[in-house]
Amino acid sequence: MTKSIKQEVLIQARDVDKVFENGCHALKNVSLDIHRGEVVVIIGPSGSGKSTFLRTLNQLETISSGRIEIDGVHLADKSTDINKLREEVGMVFQSFNLFPHKTALGNVMLAPLKVLKRDKAEVEQEAKDLLYRVGLHERMGHYPSRLSGGQQQRVAIARSLAMKPKALLFDEPTSALDPEMVGEVLDVMKGLAKEGMTMVVVTHEMGFAREVADRVVFMEEGELVLEESPERFFNSEHPRLQRFLGQVL
Amino acid sequence: MQTSSRRWFGHGLYLVIMAALIAGVYFSGQKINYSWHWERLWPYVINTEPQDIIAQTDGTAVVSASGQLSITPDFGGSPQIVPEYDKLVARDGDLIFQGDTIARIEGWRFGPIAEGLWVTIKISFLSLIFSIILGVIFGLMRVAHGQVWRNLAVTYVEVIRGTPLLVQIFIVYFFIGTVFDLDRFTAGVAALSIFTGAYVAEIVRGGIQSVPPGQMEAARSLGMSYAKAMTYVVMPQAIKRTLPSLAGQFINLIKDSSLVSVISITDLTKAGREVVSGSFAPFEVWFTVAALYLLVTGSLSWAIQRLEKRLAASD
Ligand SMILES: Nc1ncnc2c1ncn2[C@@H]1O[C@H](COP(=O)(O)OP(=O)(O)OP(=O)(O)O)[C@@H](O)[C@H]1O
Ligand SMILES: [Mg+2]
Repeated sequence: MTKSIKQEVLIQARDVDKVFENGCHALKNVSLDIHRGEVVVIIGPSGSGKSTFLRTLNQLETISSGRIEIDGVHLADKSTDINKLREEVGMVFQSFNLFPHKTALGNVMLAPLKVLKRDKAEVEQEAKDLLYRVGLHERMGHYPSRLSGGQQQRVAIARSLAMKPKALLFDEPTSALDPEMVGEVLDVMKGLAKEGMTMVVVTHEMGFAREVADRVVFMEEGELVLEESPERFFNSEHPRLQRFLGQVL
Repeated sequence: MQTSSRRWFGHGLYLVIMAALIAGVYFSGQKINYSWHWERLWPYVINTEPQDIIAQTDGTAVVSASGQLSITPDFGGSPQIVPEYDKLVARDGDLIFQGDTIARIEGWRFGPIAEGLWVTIKISFLSLIFSIILGVIFGLMRVAHGQVWRNLAVTYVEVIRGTPLLVQIFIVYFFIGTVFDLDRFTAGVAALSIFTGAYVAEIVRGGIQSVPPGQMEAARSLGMSYAKAMTYVVMPQAIKRTLPSLAGQFINLIKDSSLVSVISITDLTKAGREVVSGSFAPFEVWFTVAALYLLVTGSLSWAIQRLEKRLAASD
């Protein structure tokens, strides 16, 4: 599957270094460009810094050195409104993190109401449309505790979309799911990719990477080792990648 | 079937034990030749004796044809008109001196115990509101990023929890109260709020920390500020989790409010002490006072349980 990628860079990471307070060097000189409308899949062994990298992209984690730019705005600038920036880059978590005290609909509506202060009727209509899109319109009145993992993750995706982000970050969105529910979440993500959403996805689903990704990135020990199109990536002879793929496949 | 009949047996046994306890109290009273006079207590709760209407000036009583009573003062001024009465004491033309009873009116008013109960409810309610405010503020400071805030909050909590409430009441009343010219009631509310606020702060902190960090991250990644994430995402969950411990703390607050009687606030406890010396019915008075405290604390825990059930909808 090839898609014409507009060459406009939406997210740009340059020489990003992250050293945690405990001395753990989680990111070493990571540079990556993500273009508008592109789907980038990041794979790598546990502890390689995939989550950390994703979290630096919307400032859930600060960086020690380097530079991150989102749609031309520097994250490190004192004048940058981090909250505004986070509106534009949504995040979907491995553990869903739905708000348990709100219904599915309430989860989707909360941020547009409280952050954007938009009209309630309008927000509600949009939220219902979003839940329809992820196939959960019949369960919009349910609390998260009454939803399966797959359903919760789909609500979480709808919740991110409600802020109309320029890009969506996914941190192992299917890793906490029972195998039979992985498909329904991946289907929603494939739909988003087709509609041209810019996505950065950390996942162990090689099928998804092969089918949907415009580029696949391999990280190991905090370094970005390889960055290729899916066809070239999965045929690569790179020894570190070979070793990793040998372990997971 | 088995379990059901066992349960009924349990209830029955409970009733027998309770009856035995009450009988025990009754017979202990008999043993020390205590004569129970519950009827003496009643006027101290609600007084139904006819009440005297008192003349406010020296003058002459005038009863008009329609039966309206008024006092025309001897030395000019507007007459005192009695709008309503049930039984005349003064008659038309009587010479009246200030302080005389001129008529009686049926009706009732609250006795000292009921008034004490009201003061206790008022003090507890106000202190509850202020202790929630203090507790939330200091609880939030306790988990804030700034070290200054955390230190301040820790100091408050440790100082208050490490000193007796009675001493705090004296300090607030005699020191802070004098500096800021507080009346007794305000000083009492202040002391109780500050005291309970420290415990509420710890409960709130625990509640906030029990909410998984992913909740804050999810809220922040949707563009919410820290304050909004706290208000709409973390705090509602934290409060829900802490309701049972908050309920316990507020019940303690109601009971602790009895200590304000040391600065001469006539709350339920002080009213009880005063009534005992007037009525010579100490057992009745103290049992009644205890029952009234139980009524207030019971209503509060009932209300909080209702709230808990409402919030349990999302479980
Ligand atoms: N808050 C933190 N404080 C200190 N060290 C951390 C913190 N978060 C992550 N690390 C460390 O940084 C390194 C990278 O972690 P990260 O979570 O990014 O890995 P990952 O590639 O996402 O792994 P996984 O596949 O297990 O999710 C690990 O060694 C981890 O122990
Ligand atoms: Mg991870």
